Amino acid sequence: MSMPYYVSPEQQVKDRAEFAQKGIARGRSLIGAVFSDGVLIVAENPSTSLNKISEIYDRMAFAGVGKYNEYDRLREAGIRWADSTGFSYSREDVEARALANYYAQHLGDIFAEGQKPYEVEILVAQLGIRQTPTKLYHIAYEGTITDELEFAVLGGDADAIRERYRVSTSGAGDLSGTLQRAVVALSGPDRQIRSSDLEIGILQDAGTRRTFRRITDGETDRLLGR
Amino acid sequence: MGLPLFDVNNDPGASFQALMASQGIDLFAPVDASAQPSAHATTVVAVRFSGGVVLVADRQATSYKIASRDTRKIEAADRFSAVAISGSAAAGLNFIRVAQLAFEHYEKLMDVTLSLEGKANYLSTLVRQNNLTTPFTVVPMLAGFDNNHHIGRVFEYDAAGGCYERSDYTVIGSGTDFADTTLRLGFKDAMSSDEAIALACLAVYEAGDNDPSTGGPDFVRGIFPIIVVVDAQGFRELSGEESATRFSAIRDRRISTQGRAGGDLR
Repeated sequence: MSMPYYVSPEQQVKDRAEFAQKGIARGRSLIGAVFSDGVLIVAENPSTSLNKISEIYDRMAFAGVGKYNEYDRLREAGIRWADSTGFSYSREDVEARALANYYAQHLGDIFAEGQKPYEVEILVAQLGIRQTPTKLYHIAYEGTITDELEFAVLGGDADAIRERYRVSTSGAGDLSGTLQRAVVALSGPDRQIRSSDLEIGILQDAGTRRTFRRITDGETDRLLGR
Repeated sequence: MGLPLFDVNNDPGASFQALMASQGIDLFAPVDASAQPSAHATTVVAVRFSGGVVLVADRQATSYKIASRDTRKIEAADRFSAVAISGSAAAGLNFIRVAQLAFEHYEKLMDVTLSLEGKANYLSTLVRQNNLTTPFTVVPMLAGFDNNHHIGRVFEYDAAGGCYERSDYTVIGSGTDFADTTLRLGFKDAMSSDEAIALACLAVYEAGDNDPSTGGPDFVRGIFPIIVVVDAQGFRELSGEESATRFSAIRDRRISTQGRAGGDLR
């Protein structure tokens, strides 16, 4: 009878984290940022049909980096959770904090017990109203959850992008200015990302119940002054 | 409720109904067949015009007495369609909610809007499920702007869920006979939105005048029928003042003829 190799918990966590990070680093990064009257999410995404950013509910958006099939599944679960919670109770009772916690629990469980960890990082953005604050919940592959009030960067190159964005910003600017800073931070000093390679979604009050909208290539050019 | 995750074989797809069923919530729970529907009765009309559709609905809910004078019977199903109800108020309001959510749920999950025809067919199933499991019958209508074909379209249903598209106009509710006659005589091809609104208002006025279960314009309380236009710009509800102006004009014409309809005045 063969004995299974002993692997210490520390080693196991380290291996799994390394595996997930490698997977995430293979894809492109994204930034979620609060601007003067809304929330902006910008992702570098050459595909026009496989989205990283999505509407979840009236004032809530989702974004994911890493393995598409894994974060898309979480996106679907989020929409289902929000729609059935809103139907059972009230639309006002659908809150990003609750969903972010469920995501964190799920990712944490999979990281500790699953065959392999999810190779994803996700962002749940909420546009505030009355008592509900505008917030960005960043959930990492192992279930670590952080809430940000200004901006969050997801993906393999996150540290460098975060630093570039941080030094370029002072408080919440308008949509156009925030988008320009985010795109500069995403692309770095040596290259320019084409408008068609950007996927952009915003949460912004425009007098309608649903506040999410995608920004088209033409509008992107205009906002970036290209 | 935790995170609703499914494996591939049990995934409810983009259907909100299937999702709720997976959580043990039956949207159209069967009830005792001897139960009596409470509030009901209505007149809603939808009229096609060159650039879209106009809907007008009375505001009264009726049981043995007038149950409500300011009921809303037309709602936006989504940006480019309106759903209206007749029949049981309780079941009808639930019906509108389920229809709205079902379209929105599909749109978010699939990242594409259902076609108008897709929405019309989807409602068929909802009508059938509701009406065959409860005595609280709902007969809805769907009207909207079809973005694939750039025209306004109207769909009517029978109580068993049959869905029929009409090329001119459609009417639901207890005041159907009176409104239908007005529309039949007054309908013209390729009307302007203004002509269509005028005709649809007149039809609801006639129904309110002749059907005890349809409320006409309420000048005492200042409650007026709801008027909705759906065109290439989407769903738009006219203001209460605008509705008041339209119905006051009809009233004034009727006063000048001592209540007689017909002739050039209509």
